[in-house]
Amino acid sequence: MDTMINLSNNEMPLNGASFQRDDAPIDVMLLLEGTYPFVSGGVSSWMHQIIAGFPNIRFGGVFLGSQPSDYKGVRYQLPNNFVYLKVVYLYGDVAMPAVQEQSVDPLLMEHVAGLHECFKAHEKCPHMMQQAAGLLDLAFDDGPLNHGVFLHSKGAWEYLAQNYRLNCTDPSFVDYFWTVRSIHTPIWKLNAITKDIAPARMYHSISTGYAGFLGALLSHRNKRPLLISEHGIYTKERTIDLYQAEWIRDNRNIFQRDPSEIGYYKKMWIHFFEALAKMAYDQANAIISLYETNRQRQISEGANPLKTACIANGIDLPKFAAQRAKRPNEVPQVLCLIGRVVPIKDIKTFIRSMRTLVNQLPEAEGWIAGPEDEDEMYAQECRELVKTLGLEANVKFLGFQKVDALMPKIGLTILSSISEALPLVLLEGFAAGVPTIATDVGSCRQLVYGLPGEDQALGAAGDIVRIADPQALAHAAIKLLTDPKAWQHASEAGMARVEKYYTQTMMFDRYRQRYDEGLLWQA
Amino acid sequence: MAGIGFELRKLLKKKSYTGLLQTYAYAGIISSGPWVLSIIGILVVGLFSIGVVVPNVLISQFQVTVTYLIALSLIYTGLAQLIYTRYIADRLYEQKDALVVPTMNGVLFVIITFGGLLVGCAAYWLFPEQSILYRLLLVVGFSSLCGIWIAALLLSGMKQYMQIVWLFLLGYSTVILAAFLLRGFGLEGLLSGFVFGHLLLLAGMLFQIYRTYPSDTLVNFAFFDRRQTYLSLMLTGFLFNLGLWIDKFMFWFNPDTGQQVIGPLHASVIYDFPIFLAYLAIIPGMAVFLVRIETDFAEYYERFFDAVREGATLEYIERMRNEMVIAVRKGIFDIAKIQAIFTLITFVLAPAFLSWLGISLLYLPLLYIDVISASLQVMLLGLINVMFYLDERIAVMWLMVLFVATNFLFTWLSFYLGVAFFGYGIAASLIVTLFVGLLVINYKLSQLEFDTFMMQ
Repeated sequence: MDTMINLSNNEMPLNGASFQRDDAPIDVMLLLEGTYPFVSGGVSSWMHQIIAGFPNIRFGGVFLGSQPSDYKGVRYQLPNNFVYLKVVYLYGDVAMPAVQEQSVDPLLMEHVAGLHECFKAHEKCPHMMQQAAGLLDLAFDDGPLNHGVFLHSKGAWEYLAQNYRLNCTDPSFVDYFWTVRSIHTPIWKLNAITKDIAPARMYHSISTGYAGFLGALLSHRNKRPLLISEHGIYTKERTIDLYQAEWIRDNRNIFQRDPSEIGYYKKMWIHFFEALAKMAYDQANAIISLYETNRQRQISEGANPLKTACIANGIDLPKFAAQRAKRPNEVPQVLCLIGRVVPIKDIKTFIRSMRTLVNQLPEAEGWIAGPEDEDEMYAQECRELVKTLGLEANVKFLGFQKVDALMPKIGLTILSSISEALPLVLLEGFAAGVPTIATDVGSCRQLVYGLPGEDQALGAAGDIVRIADPQALAHAAIKLLTDPKAWQHASEAGMARVEKYYTQTMMFDRYRQRYDEGLLWQA
Repeated sequence: MAGIGFELRKLLKKKSYTGLLQTYAYAGIISSGPWVLSIIGILVVGLFSIGVVVPNVLISQFQVTVTYLIALSLIYTGLAQLIYTRYIADRLYEQKDALVVPTMNGVLFVIITFGGLLVGCAAYWLFPEQSILYRLLLVVGFSSLCGIWIAALLLSGMKQYMQIVWLFLLGYSTVILAAFLLRGFGLEGLLSGFVFGHLLLLAGMLFQIYRTYPSDTLVNFAFFDRRQTYLSLMLTGFLFNLGLWIDKFMFWFNPDTGQQVIGPLHASVIYDFPIFLAYLAIIPGMAVFLVRIETDFAEYYERFFDAVREGATLEYIERMRNEMVIAVRKGIFDIAKIQAIFTLITFVLAPAFLSWLGISLLYLPLLYIDVISASLQVMLLGLINVMFYLDERIAVMWLMVLFVATNFLFTWLSFYLGVAFFGYGIAASLIVTLFVGLLVINYKLSQLEFDTFMMQ
């Protein structure tokens, strides 16, 4: 029997603990890897919004975490229709099988090898998940492919050694060995917990990775549909993490090392997450991304194009449209960057562009609206840059602001980030009639120029510049601020685009359709 | 003799024939010195007593008493030998040097108290017709021998191999001198000389140990809390010594082959004598064993695990494994080769040698098979050493069970087959044990990488 958990305090539940509001069946089981309800942030807020937005659907969730010490308890007031939660940690004190030599059927090892070949060439394996699930059915504690077999059998050893010889470009065998072990350890754990998770009518995973894989396995075993929503692209984010990870060893010596090539062990992790994603894509009934570029990436990573679709995040249109009336007749000569003062937003490029801009438009102002406490060192550097460039009179740090009230006072929203997904602040500006100058990251190009077709015909809601190019940013801003006609066009294009494609109502409608389909789905 | 490899490798580094010769000479001296000295010492005491200590049976009584003291003290301390070596090695590895002397004192205290008590009881009840002095010497002699075996282990652990040899030389010179001076007092005189020399030997060893490891506390009994952990080591040490002596006890106490000599002690005129001579013929084998196993094998063993830890390629790790296999094979073959040569030399020279010593040539067939047995015994030592390196404690223990059992069985069988087969019992037993041991090592080495990586 599972331990029941109390979600009202700030302590993390034990591994395997679960919470269940009542005995009524669950409609949608959410698979939540390192996010809602124990982590706050963009994706979690979206999740909360979705759950609250469908009060008639009974949601459950499986939270996959690394280890209890990485989290600080529930971050949200859980809606009443969130009726079930199970907490599983993938690392930390995982119970390992006894050290005892095991034997394995060579035929089974051939199947294991076959599946790994599929990961390398997914186009040749139309039923990858079925293959994987077939093997995982044998991977329970009492099965012929249990965790002990992976850890302590000759067959597993020979397969591992063979792959090291064939593929590994890093000399260190011991590191290869441990990388293979740590990569695979969660598989058996995830496999085992499929038996402990309450039944549901459909599964909805909020990422690929471990959560997507668990969703695929549950979906396959229980014959219920799987929906995958990806905000970022899991493998891409993991790739960035891994590029930065110091703990993954790289044993190539100075002659063997090519700085442009990442270490072999990092590649192994990336391939592993790609394989998990492929299985999830294969099993999924629908694969949702936020915007077109990400949809293309999903397809390149193995998603069937017919299953993919974009559902953008939507904004509360009436709230922002109400601000249009408060606009002055003249375009305010104010550029505003709304966002946290952190390096990824590249605030410094915005400040540098203000120097060029003020040279031509001495009255223009640059506002930075967002909290500065996340990276205080960086915030301090930004303030000093303002002084160095002699912009004290023009650049203002406003701290946290109510975004809707801010909109009528500004002429352009600025987004100088080096990485984004689908920044809501652009859409909020559009809704209030404020065009934007944004860098060419994430969905920004799609939001400003529109997707080919009707969307594009609406016109450009501002301009797109390269990242880290203050000159280009300044010139694009000057062009719009000094040409009221062009500004008016951009403002109208923005309003039209957000009304047509990016409202909360649309997002809910499209998800309602997915949920309806899933809940009515018959195997 | 772990750690000896380092010394030997230093000598081998000279890369010259003299260096090589020095290495083997050194290995021969430190591996065989102590027991060669004791065999020669006791033979010499016997030789100069002929005609002085009368009747002659007193000399046999002395030699038999001494043989029993040595055999029983070895078997008895065998219970503690391996586990004690391991315990001290672990403490030194932890750099807890201060524990070395108190632990040894604790072990000596317990072993000598129990051993002395047992031998004291035996002396009291089993030797009623012997003098008080003889019975007292039994107790003191047994106790000091037990102490010597334990202290010698520690000195080996401290890498003071040459000091051990020097101390044995001193001890046995004293035995010979004292026995020579006291031979007029008959059996008690010879035995007093023997015991006095050994007390001196023990004192010298303890002095050397106390000098090296000063300590604040006198006694530490923590060693005895750990018996459970290394029960296999305890049994192995005991069984190995029992296996080496069991055939001799069978010959002594079989009414057809042995006769009562003194008190309950029996001896076998037809079985005992050649064994001592045979052991002298294995000095070169012991030297080769040390050099091959402790340098070649140990070096690749270290490289194997360094390679695993420090991230070498699997290919390199496998090559080190293969080198280990080659080193074991070469080691065993080299021992076999050198012993074959020396066995042949024995075959050629033995008749002349026996005639010169005035010993009946009827002993010749037994001497030949004893030389072969002794050579096999060196190989078995090498094999056990390799197995301990591979941490196959349980396998060694079962191998020793096999050794004791087969030696018992085959020796018993040889009684039925007749005089021509005497001595073949232990030889056959050693061959079987060696064969099984080689199979075990072969299997373990063949999956060394698997065990190293996958059994964790």
